[in-house]
Amino acid sequence: MAMPGQLMFARGLSPAARLLIWLLVGVACVVVDARYQALDGLRSGFSLLMQPVREVMRAPFDVAAELGGFLTRHRLLQKERDALLTERAQLLVNVNAAQELNRENTELRALLQLQTRSGQQVVHAAQLYQGHNWFAQRITLDRGAGAGLRSGLPVVDSEGLVGQVNRVYPGSSEVTLVSDPDQLTPVFVERTGQRGLAAGSGHGQLELRYMPAQNDIRPGDRLLTSGIDRVYPAGIPVARVSRVSRSQSGPYLRVECQPLAGLDRARAVLILVAEPQVTAP
Amino acid sequence: MSVPTQTSGNWRRILGTLVVAVLLEQLPWAGWALAVRPDFVLVGVLFWTLHRPARIGFGVAFFLGLLADFQDGAVFGQHAIAYVIGVYLVLFLRLRLLQFDPLRQAAQLFPILLAVQLTVLLVGWLAVNPPAGLLMLLPVLSSSVLWYLIALLVRLLHGKGMQDRA
Repeated sequence: MAMPGQLMFARGLSPAARLLIWLLVGVACVVVDARYQALDGLRSGFSLLMQPVREVMRAPFDVAAELGGFLTRHRLLQKERDALLTERAQLLVNVNAAQELNRENTELRALLQLQTRSGQQVVHAAQLYQGHNWFAQRITLDRGAGAGLRSGLPVVDSEGLVGQVNRVYPGSSEVTLVSDPDQLTPVFVERTGQRGLAAGSGHGQLELRYMPAQNDIRPGDRLLTSGIDRVYPAGIPVARVSRVSRSQSGPYLRVECQPLAGLDRARAVLILVAEPQVTAP
Repeated sequence: MSVPTQTSGNWRRILGTLVVAVLLEQLPWAGWALAVRPDFVLVGVLFWTLHRPARIGFGVAFFLGLLADFQDGAVFGQHAIAYVIGVYLVLFLRLRLLQFDPLRQAAQLFPILLAVQLTVLLVGWLAVNPPAGLLMLLPVLSSSVLWYLIALLVRLLHGKGMQDRA
């Protein structure tokens, strides 16, 4: 049988005393971080330390994906190319119409002496890391303050809204997904124009909160950002309503929605960078 | 019943395994693989706490817990507190754990790993949000399996010696 070695004649404090000390330190950490957000420096340190490691660990997967793409069938590529060309032709028509509308809009705004909307810049980023989503649903991107990101910027992919930049480190940034329970997104129902507030419900889904029971909302309706908060530009698709049920107790409907963006599968995302608006008093 | 010789090889092995554990967690895990991913770092820390308690203990566990908090975007201290409690439980049950063969040792580790995960859950619940489902208990199972595999491997490599040299 084993002898406890040096532990039998423990130097200094007993394990229980040391446990108590470390527990106190831990509780202090939780309070300082959750209450006063004072440990962001430590987060930046970890981020600087881990970012190169994560990029290296990601590399083999990128190479595998590249190889997989290289071996795609020629026929498939041709088919995809044809489809893309058709789509491009259609989009070009739309772009022309949009440019015309844009010009008209600027003129009208000038006439009405409204503030012109600032142009939008786009930063490309790729997902670098994803942690467990037990308490908060967040992903880490491989672009940070160096690429001009700030906390609060909206993040989208080709399908819809992914989330909002939450923390920015020098070379990476953390995004809170729309499905995070603490993340609120002001939306409107595309079909009726009814405004509402979408919140994450965990489990990678969203719910539309505070919808009065007499409202017209059906499964299949799309929710777009309303732009009321001045954080998200108006009209970004957010989610599709999947189930509507009347709750027995409250005056509100229970509206469950499925996010449109590929929250757990999107690799490449765009971050919409707008100049901070300065409103004159 | 020999006292372990203080060699630098010892340190190298401990640091090496812990670094590998941290690296494994930096892989781009996603989806189901992420949900059932064992907690490599926790298993590593508890393993060395069991076999080299003079080297690896509360301090290292706390620091690696902070790292786990950073990875999950959680509140700092959530995993750190849980890991420290895990180390204490292993130290408390150390003599008992060292007597068992790999399978029983893993079975005995299961409640310890469960206690660690429940601490994470409890601290998160008090400090942030109620957790989204009980899916977070899955890594407890996979970590226990990982412990069994490691204990089996160590026994194959060292015979029964690992226990005695501890």
